[in-house]
Amino acid sequence: MGLLTILKKMKQKEREMRLLMLGLDNAGKTTILKKFNGEDVSTISPTLGFNIKTLEHRGFKLNIWDVGGQKSLRSYWRNYFESTDGLVWVVDSADRLRMEDCRQELSALLLEERLAGATLLVFANKQDLPGALTKEAIREVLALDDINTHHWCIIGCSAVTGENLLAGVDWMLDDIAARIFTAE
Amino acid sequence: LRIVSEYKKKSEENGFYDRNAAAKLHERIEKRQQVLAEDVERRKEARQSQSVAEEKSEYFVSSFNAERAGIQELLSDCSGADRPTVTQKLEEATAKMTQLQKFLNDSMIFLSQYQIRVAQGALQKLQASLNETREEALPKKKFTFRSRTKAAEKVSDSPPPPSSETVSSGVTKVEEAAISEQTGFSNISNESLTKTSEEIQSRDVLLTHLTNCKVRLYGSPSTLHLKHITACEVLCGPVATSVFVDHCSNSVLGFACQQLRTHNTTDTQVYLHVTSRAIIEDCRGVSFAPFCWSYPTLDQDFTASGLDQDRNNWSQVDDFNWLAAGTPSPNWTVIPEADRKTTWDP
Repeated sequence: MGLLTILKKMKQKEREMRLLMLGLDNAGKTTILKKFNGEDVSTISPTLGFNIKTLEHRGFKLNIWDVGGQKSLRSYWRNYFESTDGLVWVVDSADRLRMEDCRQELSALLLEERLAGATLLVFANKQDLPGALTKEAIREVLALDDINTHHWCIIGCSAVTGENLLAGVDWMLDDIAARIFTAE
Repeated sequence: LRIVSEYKKKSEENGFYDRNAAAKLHERIEKRQQVLAEDVERRKEARQSQSVAEEKSEYFVSSFNAERAGIQELLSDCSGADRPTVTQKLEEATAKMTQLQKFLNDSMIFLSQYQIRVAQGALQKLQASLNETREEALPKKKFTFRSRTKAAEKVSDSPPPPSSETVSSGVTKVEEAAISEQTGFSNISNESLTKTSEEIQSRDVLLTHLTNCKVRLYGSPSTLHLKHITACEVLCGPVATSVFVDHCSNSVLGFACQQLRTHNTTDTQVYLHVTSRAIIEDCRGVSFAPFCWSYPTLDQDFTASGLDQDRNNWSQVDDFNWLAAGTPSPNWTVIPEADRKTTWDP
């Protein structure tokens, strides 16, 4: 009650969420963002810096931050942590060589204090590729079952075909909404 | 005397009057008290009928304990059960725990401090035993490429069964699966290597630890990874998605692709067709020229890859270590036209 209630009410009025999309380079973060927004995905270049998109979905205003995943950009990720409601971790399911890298980067992120309250959605992207690991395999490789500090969910998807992107975002919205917009 | 008697009479009257008033007052007070009592009674009744059954702490305590017992039972069922059952039970228990925590949060308003503390303590204990059970039944595995994972088994189910030799040599199931999905060359020196279109079509091609080799990949793979390539000449047909180059040196590369990501590469020439962008990171002495290799089925392979043959951004290279706008990156250059290679195979 008190301050928390006031904060909740303020958020409720805005019905705004901030989603941060991270992952190794070539995971498909920008492609997911563009596909979700209905843009052309065939000309996407590696992200040098970041993209921001504000979308309306199910009555929520989503501020989606897509930050480049190159090694040299990862140290800048922390600049985007503040007031993040949801973290979208994108995995290139076909990139077996760097799964261990992927696991390490994710587990480092989850220790971040400023991401402590955020919901975690793991997109096992590129499921359309013949060599893609299944989402169960990725769940195991990334040791997701050991996460008990965040609400999390893994969803297999394909940014190129758009498969399951909505399902993932909808899960995330529900989880965040249950947390910050709960009716008192 | 008359006055006195009159006074007396008056005072008697007065006295009578007083007595009368006192009685009336008493009566009024009693009435009022009765009304008040009735009021209290009524209000009490109203409150009781209004208050939802759930808001009673006894209700809370009993259902909290019932839920808790349910979870404990789930946990105790876990011992000795097989893995899938345990996983499912643990999941159920976790979900129930979350629910219980929410129930407690929602009930805080009408619970006493003491009750809240007790409930929270119980929850904590429950969480601890949940973790313990999880630890016991599904021991936390550090992911290593040696671990024999259930998921990897699933993946390797479809390709031909891996030989026991590779298992014993410590190659992981994940890698085995990778190998069966991937194709390529590794750990080879001083050789000429070729792959045909059938071998690489829509597959992931991986070249690692090659020294002084000539590699020709005719066809359209899905992705191409080059790792630890030294003094090689690698040419590849149109790659449908990305090409990764990591730790290459003193080599000549040529391919068409949608994206090129180059890392830790030094003194390497890239003859490139790229429909979006090429990037370099932690590279030095990398030079670019347009893709100019050709082989009989190149046009067909371009069509198969879905790449636009008329769009080539080979000279727009982003250096992730050189973010200054205006000044060009010192890490890459364009190969002067006069110095470009035009013939590849004699």
